[in-house]
Amino acid sequence: MNFLARIRLVAIAVMLFAIAVIAPAVAQKLGPDGAPDPTASVTSERSLLKQMPRAEGRIDIPDTKAGVLIQPAGRSWDYFHEVLLHWSGAIVLLGTIVLLGVAYLIIGKIRIAAGRSGRKVLRFKAFERFSHWLTAASFVVLGLTGLNVTFGKRLLLPVIGPDAFSSVSQWAKYIHNFTSAAFVVGLVLITVIFFKDNLLEKVDIDWVKQGGGFIKSKHAPAGRFNLGEKLVYWLSLAAGVAVSVSGVLLLFPFYGTDIADMQLAQIVHAVVAILFIALILAHIYIGTLGIEGAFEAMGTGEVDLNWAKEHHDLWIARQLASKEGQREPSTTAAE
Amino acid sequence: MLIKRSERHRSRGRLAGLQADKSSGSLDRRIFLKRAGVTTGALAVLGNLRLGGIRKAEAGPPPPAGAEVITRKNVCTHCSVGCSVIALVANGVWIGQEPDYDSPINRGSHCCKGAAVRDDVLSQRRLRYPVKLVNGKWTRISWETAIDEIGDKLLQIREKSGPDSVYWLGSAKFTNEAAYLNRKFAAFWGTNNSDHQARICHSTTVTGVANTWGYGAMTNSYNDIRNSKTIMLMGGNPAEAHPVSLQHILEGQELNRANLIVIDPRMTRTAAHATEYVRVRPGTHIATIYGMLWHIFENGWEDKEYLRQRVYGVDEIRKQVAKWTPQEVERVTGLPEAQVKHIAEVFAKEKPATLIWAMGQTQFATGTANVRASCILLLATGNVGHAGDGANIFRGHTNVQGATDLGLDVTTLPLYYGLAEGGWRHWCGVWEVDYEWMKSRFPNKTLMETPGIPSTRWFDATLLPKDQVSQPDNVQAMFIMGHGVNTITRMPEAKRGIEKLELLVVCDPYPTAWSVLSDRKDGIYLLPACTSFEMDGSRTASNRSLQWGEKIVEPVFESKNDYDTMYLLARKLGFADRMFKNIKVENNAVSAEDILREINRGGWSTGYCGQSPERLKAHMKNQAKFDLVTMRAPKDDPEVGGDYYGLPWPCWGTPEFRHPGSGILYNTGLPVKDGGGTFRARFGVERIVKRKVMENGQEVEKDEHHNLLAEGSYSAGSEIKDGYPEFTLGVLKKVGWDKDLTPQELEIIQRISSTNPDAVSWSTDLSGGIQRVAIEHGCSPYGNGKARMIAWNLPDPIPVYREPIYTPRPDLVADYPTLPDARQFRVPNIGFTVQKTAVDRGIAKQFPLILTSGRLVEYEGGGEETRSNKWLAELKQDMYVEINPADAVERGIKDGGWVWVTGPESSSKARVKALVTERVGKGVAWMPYHFAGWYEGTDLRAKYPKGFDPIVLGESVNTLTTYGYDPATGMQEPKATLCQIKAA
Amino acid sequence: MKFLCDADRCIDCNACVTACKNENEVPWGINRRRVVTINDGKPGERSVSMACMHCTDAPCAAVCPVTCIFSTEDGVVLHSKDLCIGCGYCFYACPFGAPQYPRVGNFGSRGKMDKCTYCAGGGGPEPSGSAEEFEKYGSNRFGDGKLPLCAEMCSTKSLLAGDGEIIAQIYKERVLKRGYGSGAWGWKTAYHEDVVV
Repeated sequence: MNFLARIRLVAIAVMLFAIAVIAPAVAQKLGPDGAPDPTASVTSERSLLKQMPRAEGRIDIPDTKAGVLIQPAGRSWDYFHEVLLHWSGAIVLLGTIVLLGVAYLIIGKIRIAAGRSGRKVLRFKAFERFSHWLTAASFVVLGLTGLNVTFGKRLLLPVIGPDAFSSVSQWAKYIHNFTSAAFVVGLVLITVIFFKDNLLEKVDIDWVKQGGGFIKSKHAPAGRFNLGEKLVYWLSLAAGVAVSVSGVLLLFPFYGTDIADMQLAQIVHAVVAILFIALILAHIYIGTLGIEGAFEAMGTGEVDLNWAKEHHDLWIARQLASKEGQREPSTTAAE
Repeated sequence: MLIKRSERHRSRGRLAGLQADKSSGSLDRRIFLKRAGVTTGALAVLGNLRLGGIRKAEAGPPPPAGAEVITRKNVCTHCSVGCSVIALVANGVWIGQEPDYDSPINRGSHCCKGAAVRDDVLSQRRLRYPVKLVNGKWTRISWETAIDEIGDKLLQIREKSGPDSVYWLGSAKFTNEAAYLNRKFAAFWGTNNSDHQARICHSTTVTGVANTWGYGAMTNSYNDIRNSKTIMLMGGNPAEAHPVSLQHILEGQELNRANLIVIDPRMTRTAAHATEYVRVRPGTHIATIYGMLWHIFENGWEDKEYLRQRVYGVDEIRKQVAKWTPQEVERVTGLPEAQVKHIAEVFAKEKPATLIWAMGQTQFATGTANVRASCILLLATGNVGHAGDGANIFRGHTNVQGATDLGLDVTTLPLYYGLAEGGWRHWCGVWEVDYEWMKSRFPNKTLMETPGIPSTRWFDATLLPKDQVSQPDNVQAMFIMGHGVNTITRMPEAKRGIEKLELLVVCDPYPTAWSVLSDRKDGIYLLPACTSFEMDGSRTASNRSLQWGEKIVEPVFESKNDYDTMYLLARKLGFADRMFKNIKVENNAVSAEDILREINRGGWSTGYCGQSPERLKAHMKNQAKFDLVTMRAPKDDPEVGGDYYGLPWPCWGTPEFRHPGSGILYNTGLPVKDGGGTFRARFGVERIVKRKVMENGQEVEKDEHHNLLAEGSYSAGSEIKDGYPEFTLGVLKKVGWDKDLTPQELEIIQRISSTNPDAVSWSTDLSGGIQRVAIEHGCSPYGNGKARMIAWNLPDPIPVYREPIYTPRPDLVADYPTLPDARQFRVPNIGFTVQKTAVDRGIAKQFPLILTSGRLVEYEGGGEETRSNKWLAELKQDMYVEINPADAVERGIKDGGWVWVTGPESSSKARVKALVTERVGKGVAWMPYHFAGWYEGTDLRAKYPKGFDPIVLGESVNTLTTYGYDPATGMQEPKATLCQIKAA
Repeated sequence: MKFLCDADRCIDCNACVTACKNENEVPWGINRRRVVTINDGKPGERSVSMACMHCTDAPCAAVCPVTCIFSTEDGVVLHSKDLCIGCGYCFYACPFGAPQYPRVGNFGSRGKMDKCTYCAGGGGPEPSGSAEEFEKYGSNRFGDGKLPLCAEMCSTKSLLAGDGEIIAQIYKERVLKRGYGSGAWGWKTAYHEDVVV
């Protein structure tokens, strides 16, 4: 919603970081003998908070975060979390769904123009599919449990009541915490496996010029992955790294981080996660409703030859070429 | 143990009313749940995951259902302020504490220790049963076996080496009754080797102050500081050591817009609230005071009329002060002229001004002289004997004042009666034992009248060759009741001392560092003592008020109270019948009240005669009636009418005389019967000084007679309107007041001295008649004298500035050396040699940092008790050294990092954490003294009896502290030594 | 109900800390109240005792994903340990570092939040003053018409507790009398108001 407020919040977060590094520069007044004079500069909260984002001091218990006396940023974080995040999150997610709906209505399902050939081509090996689905499944779990912690109290709590909702959320928290490991594993696998095929190529420019396959009259050329898929790959990688890193920080609170770091980590985690979900919604749409024959690639691993020719002509050409040169065929006849 | 606090339901106050009625609008969880209450159903079954872990309640509130909750009142045991503790007890378990708003001393407040005393009793780390060390293993034994074995060993040592080879080290945590009993015990055993923490705390104050104006105690009270216009703290950090006193200090400062001047090497928590903070070098007290006096005399700011009427010897002080020009003061202390002049002017002009001190003045080889210098400053400015001024000496332990008063000291009998025959005869009269029998307990009359060995030197008396210890044999057994080993300097020597002993008995609620410091494999007995919360008895706060503490719960586990332990041992040693002749003992349980009554019967000299247990209990019951500032109850109250709270001594005459106690000492503004007084004529009426004068061109020696009686100053309502000597029957006869004595009183006086009844004085008259008559005529029983600026019986009659033994300024030693070597208290004091050797060897170069030590708010004394208290131990989990950032940077030391601190004696070293802070100036390091259980980098936890180790252990600062003893008292010097620090 | 720490009186004696531990049997490692010293050892050093300030419009309550934190009519902020899931959000939102968590299980995983209850117990459904309530939340002095023990036992009467207007008035009078005051620490953040003298 309020874009300016959001900018301001990010600015505050950045400032918090910056100032945390700079040693507190409190003016010192010394007596004539060089000894400190306690009445010379009695510190008031207001003057202190003007100089620094938070009032901090010495405390002798081992809990170092207890040394932060007052951090007004907590209120800002509250505002971010309860207002900005809720509204913008809702808008982004619902907006994405609406957009996809509109796309479906306008474009509809993109059929295999030549019809199914009946010949199947292996597009994703079992391990590739396993990696994808590991990531996908954990993503869904993380997404749902994550959304619960943000929106649950608005959506689910009124329905099932506080006790049940607490139980659900408690489980959700533990599931979220533990599933994160699976997600990170999946993310690493995907990154490695598909890295080479997602490097940008010249053909990607043509693909854009030709309307990315959405314009029925034009043929968009593509390798194993088209630019759209590559974007999903790279954005997912970036978002995945962001949520993973911020998530690990959140999972180990105050291990080498302070309150400002933790708030920032949570902001990054939440914002990126929302955008990530939106991205994945689009990804899911294209992979299922959007394009006929696409789901099979990750479902069974095999796609129809004609589908491959239409969507990944360069790839299938390479596949067929290499197959001819090989003893073992990588495509099999259907029936 | 889960228990319920149902009793508390009954009393629902205003707040409760508000809380109960919250049906409308507000969100209470009950309503909230109801409102939200759509089906919880199946999903709720998932609920209540115990993953979250809710804590288990321990033995705390609320009480078991139906149990009666009893309220009991005792006094906090952790410092001398004397805060009342209200305990809630259910089924014999202490379940909670409540603030005691009625107490005029603390008005409900506590520091962290007072607010946590419940765990002193509940602590699982308490020693539960007697144990002895056998082949390096702690073995459980019964009390009977313990007393038998210990008694046999003691008797064997006595047989072989004489009674002086057993050292009775008592405690400032004793009740008055236990302190008295402990001193009496040593007397009946036949030795003066009986001491307690006052030695290392305020022995120099007692000696210095008493030698100035009569009594060695705080002249006013914590509450009275509310009247001050200038509050100067030199050598004290009450914000940490006496936190509740700050309530009076800060409120007083706020209400009067008073000056609060803190002079300290450390920017302490107290200094944080000061209007002026002056950073000094440790050990330069006298130079600072003389620097102030220089400006005072120079500008005529002294109180000339006061000096004329009430002070002796100012002229000689003027001569001494004249040497302390601003330049010299700056050379020695580093304080600039303007600052010294400013604080001197404020102190002299903005009256009433009080001087507050604690260990920052006393714990020096010049401790007595330091304290005397402070008294001289107060006298010069006329700041003694009025509301709002005085020497407000903050004592350390709960009852260090009382234990000192009751003679737990190597130089006196109870209540400052000397060791001379007269003192012994007085107490033998009170105890109703034959003087000759008492004499027979000692090796000879000389040793009976010779001060014993101070607690600071016990290990020297153990380790030195026999011929260097002026008693039949070395100390071979230590019997310790409530005293740490780690609060005494030179611990490496103490360790060797313990190893050389034949027997070590520690009677304490905790095993203490005594049990682990040495490499002994046997010969240590630990007897579980209970805390003062588990026994009845009175305690004297710093302001001389006595407060009666009632037993909150029975002693826990197998612990016993001090009275009963001493009784059992006396019985074993064969003098219980004589010792407890007038003290009721039922089923081996000793009556505390009876002990106090015996104290009352003999405590004339210090006015401990009027505080009967009945009166003290009435005070505790009627606390609310006492005024916050004057501490006095309204005159018309039937029980405590006109009394000062706690009957601060001197409380003259018999309890029936109903003297109100003395809120402020030497206050001539009030009649003696209302708590007024004069300076005590303690040092004779005349001083004869031999002086060389020129007569007819020839030098001849002439006697000068100096009158020591007050001139034209007297307490309100006094019938003698001038100075007068102390009262004896003879003096009463001279002024014709002897007729006022009752026949019974006269008869008792006659009985005390049938040969020379005229010599029977106010302090030896067991009838109290002489006191009564003197007071009824408006006079102080002890006379009306002048305070002495010159104490000619002390090593330095006029305070002389002397560098600490280990000084960072060897260049000043030539001008200000310590006193020559001498023998004191049965042992040699070779301070001069040590200082000279240190200078010659360039110790200050190898150990360039000044090391000084002090107190933390969370811990107390040796710290065993407080470090075993789970609520306190959490707050300070590591021993540390404070070091200035500049010194830290030079040494590559980081805040929180480990460092080695090394000391100049015994190759001592300690591994502690660094606290890099500007609290200390450059060149100064500071360490708290409450830690023990580590020794030179080794954790000794495994050596404690299993399960009874304190929660927090750490190095002791006294591993590093060094030689240095005050010649007048044997006080140690832990406040100024040298050290080096390097990153570990 | 509010807290006000007069920093010009606070001497870092920690009485409030142990009084809280004692009254509520708070376990080792959980610090419902603490004292922080600003500018330690330097000019202007001030110590401030801090716990839950029982904020007006409490941010912890706002961010709680299971809405287990609530304000009573008296302005005391309480929470339900039955509902708390230990997510830690309240700590991020709290301007005063009040929420505490027992460390349980793996990682830095938190147990149910614990914090100052203003010595007012849990606010139900456990009966007021019951052992069940004590076990979860600690003492219920409030129900007996008493104030939090930390404030009651404060050594220098620095920590004030009670009705906001009354304690603000006490503080104002103090400041006027003595001529200085470093302010009501945390009030602006907690209550959107300041004690202006």
